Amino acid sequence: MEYDIIEQVSELAVSGSPLEEKLEKAAALLADYLAFDGCAVLLLDENGYMRSVAAKCPEALPPYRLGQGVPGLAFTGGALIEVHKEAGDVAWEGIEDSGLEGYRTALAYPLREKERTCGVLFLRARAKVRLTLLKRQILKLAAMQLLILVKSSEVLNDHHRVYSELLEMQQKLVNSEKLLALGDMAATMAHEIRNPLLSIGGYAARLKRQLPPGSPGLGYLEQMGAEIGRIEKIMNGIIRFLKDNAVELKTDDLHCMIDEAMELFADEIAVHCIKVDRRSSGGPLPVLADREQMKIAFDNLIANAIQSMEKGGILILETSRAGEFAVAKVSDTGGGIDPKYMGYIFNPFFTTKKHGTGLGLPIANSIIMRHKGTIEVRNEGHGAAFIIKLPVAGAAAPNSSRHETGEAV
Amino acid sequence: MKKRILVVDDEEGLRLLYKEELEDEGWDVELAASGEESLDKLEKDSIDLVLLDIKMPGMDGVEVLRRVKEKWKDLPVILCTAYPHYKHDFGTWASDAYITKSSDLTELKQTIRDILGKKP
Repeated sequence: MEYDIIEQVSELAVSGSPLEEKLEKAAALLADYLAFDGCAVLLLDENGYMRSVAAKCPEALPPYRLGQGVPGLAFTGGALIEVHKEAGDVAWEGIEDSGLEGYRTALAYPLREKERTCGVLFLRARAKVRLTLLKRQILKLAAMQLLILVKSSEVLNDHHRVYSELLEMQQKLVNSEKLLALGDMAATMAHEIRNPLLSIGGYAARLKRQLPPGSPGLGYLEQMGAEIGRIEKIMNGIIRFLKDNAVELKTDDLHCMIDEAMELFADEIAVHCIKVDRRSSGGPLPVLADREQMKIAFDNLIANAIQSMEKGGILILETSRAGEFAVAKVSDTGGGIDPKYMGYIFNPFFTTKKHGTGLGLPIANSIIMRHKGTIEVRNEGHGAAFIIKLPVAGAAAPNSSRHETGEAV
Repeated sequence: MKKRILVVDDEEGLRLLYKEELEDEGWDVELAASGEESLDKLEKDSIDLVLLDIKMPGMDGVEVLRRVKEKWKDLPVILCTAYPHYKHDFGTWASDAYITKSSDLTELKQTIRDILGKKP
C-alpha cells in the first residue's frame, strides 16, 4: 500500500498529458500521501526566479529567487531542507520565508541529477508533520520520478524544436524549387512572346518609314514602337534573371552597392518626404558579388520600404560586419508586415499591394541565395527590417576557395 | 554584284521582316527556316554572310555554326538570339558577331555593314 503513490506517479509519467498537468497531479498525490496541505514543483526560469509550475496550494507562492526562502535554499544547497515552527516561535529556524505564514512545517526537496539542480519539490503543512523513514524514502523516489518527468519533457521540447526547424528548412527548399520552376516557365514564356513581338515591332517600324510625312498614323506607330520596346525590355529582364544565368562574382564593397542602389531613389524619397538614415561601420565590406544583380536585389528592398512610407518616414540603411558575414539591413517605419503574411512574402506572386507583381521579394531572395547569402525579415520598431547576410570575401584572399580553407583551420 | 545574306530563323514573320529590311539596305537575301535547310542552301548558293538564330527546333544555331565553320572557315556568321547567356557558351565563340534580338534592327544592320563593307 505504501508504494501505491509511486505506481500512481509512474502512471502519470507515461500518460500523454502536458508536463504542467502531470506535475500538478503528482503534487496533489504527494500532498495527500504525505499529509501536507500544499505541494508545489518549482522550476528555475530564465530570469533566475523559481517558477511554480504546479501547486496544490490554497494561496499563491511568493516569487522565490535562488537562495531565498526554504525552496531557494534547498535549490542552491542541493539538499533536503525540513523546518518546523512551534506555536510560540517567530522565525523558521533562522530562515526568512514570506510563503510560510500560517504554516508549521515546510519541506523542500531538490530535483537533482548529478551536479545540476533543475527544480524543487516544496511541501507545506499547517500542522506539525514529521515524516517516517519510509515516507522520506518514498519522497525521494517520487522526487526522482518528477525529475525524469521534467527531463523527458525537455528532451521532447528539443525534439519538437528541431523538428519544426527541419520543417521550416524543408519549406524553404520547396520554395526555392518553386522559384526554379517559375524561372523556367517565365523564361520559356518570355522567349515565346519575344519572337512575335519582334515581328510586330519590326513591321511597325517599316510601316512608319513608308507613311508620308505628316500623316496621323505616324504618331500611332511611334507609340506602338515605344510600347513594344518597353515589353521587350521587360522580357529581356526576365530572361536575364531567371534563365540559369550564373552570377559573375567579383570582390566588391557592400557599402558601395547599397549607396549605388540608393541613388535611383532620390526623387521618390523627396516626393514622399522620407528621411534616409545611412549607418555604416568604418572600413570596406568586401563580399563576392555580382554587383548588377545585388543592385537589383537592393532596388527591390528599398522600393518596398519606400512604398510602405508614402506619407513619410525614415528609411534606415545599415551596413556592418558580423564575424564571417557582411550584413546589410534595410528597414523602414512603414508599420511593418502583418504577422499573418510573414510566411508568404517570399512566395512568387504573393502581394498585398494593388499593383504589385509579387516578384520583387522572390527575385531579391533568389539573387541573395545565388550569392550563398541569407535574407531574413522581421518587424522592428515602427516597420519592417530586411537583413541580408553575405559571406565576407577574405580581405587578403579575394577568391572564395582560399577563404574557405582559412575557415577550416 | 550584290552580296548575299542567308537568314536562318524558324519564325516566318521574322524571316520576312529581315528579308525586306535587308533588301532595303541593298543586300540580296536568301531564307532558310531550319538549320538543315540552311546547310542545303549553303551547298547550292553562293552566300557572303549568315544571320543565324540560335534557338530552333531540330538542329540549333550552335550546331549549324560548328558545321559552317568546319566547311567554310572564312564565311562570316552573325548569331542572334534572345538569350544573352549564350555568350558564355564555348560553341558560340567561333561566330563573328553576336546580336541580341530586338525589334530595332539598327545594331544588326550596322554589324552587317561592318562585316561586309560599306557598299553591298
